Amino acid sequence: MIITRQKPLEEIKETLSRYKGVALIGCGGCVAFYQTGGTKQTKEMAAKLREAGVNVVALGVSNRQCYLCEEKEVADLSDAERIRKVARELEGFSKLEEAEAVLSLACGVGVQNLANILDMPVLPAQNTLFMGRRRVEGDFDLEQCIGCGNCILAFTGGICPVTRCAKSLMNGPCGGVFNGMCEVSKSRVSEHPVPCAWIEIYNKLKKQGRVDEMRKIRPPKDFTKAAHMRKVAWGL
Amino acid sequence: MGEVYSNFMRSLLSSEFTISGEIDPPKDANRAAVEEQVKHLKDHVVAANVTDNPIGDVIMNTLAPCVIMQELGLEAIYQATCRDRNRIALQSDIIGAAALGIKNVLALTGDHTKMGNHPQAKPVFDLDSVLLTQTLRRLREGENMAGEKLEHPPKVHIGVGLSPGVEPLEPEIIKLEKKIEAGAEFVQTQCIYDEKVLERLKEATAHLDIPILPGIAPLRSVGMAKFMQANVPGISIPEEMLAKLEKSKDLTETAIDIAAELIAAVKDYGFPGVHIMPVGMDRYVGEMIARSGVRR
Repeated sequence: MIITRQKPLEEIKETLSRYKGVALIGCGGCVAFYQTGGTKQTKEMAAKLREAGVNVVALGVSNRQCYLCEEKEVADLSDAERIRKVARELEGFSKLEEAEAVLSLACGVGVQNLANILDMPVLPAQNTLFMGRRRVEGDFDLEQCIGCGNCILAFTGGICPVTRCAKSLMNGPCGGVFNGMCEVSKSRVSEHPVPCAWIEIYNKLKKQGRVDEMRKIRPPKDFTKAAHMRKVAWGL
Repeated sequence: MGEVYSNFMRSLLSSEFTISGEIDPPKDANRAAVEEQVKHLKDHVVAANVTDNPIGDVIMNTLAPCVIMQELGLEAIYQATCRDRNRIALQSDIIGAAALGIKNVLALTGDHTKMGNHPQAKPVFDLDSVLLTQTLRRLREGENMAGEKLEHPPKVHIGVGLSPGVEPLEPEIIKLEKKIEAGAEFVQTQCIYDEKVLERLKEATAHLDIPILPGIAPLRSVGMAKFMQANVPGISIPEEMLAKLEKSKDLTETAIDIAAELIAAVKDYGFPGVHIMPVGMDRYVGEMIARSGVRR
């Protein structure tokens, strides 16, 4: 899933301050599943913004904001018609013409996708953090993949050192491992302790009887596969 | 062993007990601070390391003190970490350092940027210590990472680090084996205070053919000892050492004594030398060595 967290209300209010009417569009994908931008959160956001004096004229939720429609399908439509086409109505869709901007509760992909088919400004309500999964035990979301373009999970016990080692090391733990934890756990800017990915990898490989995978020198990462902005053709 | 370029490597290959020291670069442009440390170490160690922004604090770079100390007649071991430089900068710096007469490089991963005084900085870690080692050897053999031939390769000896007190030790040893395969020629370890760790190091590396210099650093106070134990990975300090510091009436004397005992222990365990990190006590390094009796 794409992990997001809502921006502070003050920041959202500030970005909306120049528009007389705003439509809120949530997303039915990852952010709905992880309860940061689904139907319920879109309603709550509308209530909070109205309380703060923002004129929320309409609110709705798209199915998947990262996959809406092709540009040519909506080429002849007005923005209000485009929104009606891609979002389920919750409230006020008859007043969509009054909206001067859209506040999207989707991730950065969704915001950009919606912005791509609308002429009016589309503003983010969320900060998009990473690709990860929810750990109910411990109450946190954990980054799992940075999309480096060259997956090495086959020989790291299904644990990604590129993502989960603070230094993205390819060849084993550094000297900063402290009781199984990464040295950054002790940094004053770290919000939570992190286990050393390479000790986790070692333990997993040992359990699977293939510590020998760690003995091979892995080559340097090829950052031509990871440099922005990436684009990939179909069929490759 | 092929060609030998440095006095440090020559010493490691001889039967003499090899002692390396360490210079802490100042945080400003104070050349005299470097010269002062060189003066204290010069007659007692074969070569001295220059750290590369330890814990990620901004201090004088590695190269300047290396050049200054070599001008003053003390051979440098240039520490290169992967934290701040990508493969382009690392190769380029080593080539430049070699042109300025640097003969020894210690390839390290480097502490994370979050540990230092600029935690917001972008951590680089384009290469890791194994890959940096491999890169140094490739450069020395006359080829850069792009495969381009070098007519005048940087002739440097390659050292690596080791943290013998960590748990579990096996991944650390596996990594050392990879470093040796990649071209490492000597090892300098994280500081050791416990003879049990020396013993463990000896056993765990018995199968490896590479000179290992255990690292030692004087303990200047009980506070420092406790801080290191709590915050530096793989450090254990024996109770009797803490008791000695607690009872001490002259901490400098006690620090010198403890360091001397550790140096002697390193030799007793059959290591080919020792790496002394003076951590501010550079003026006493000569005394630590003299008291240890390793030169008698």
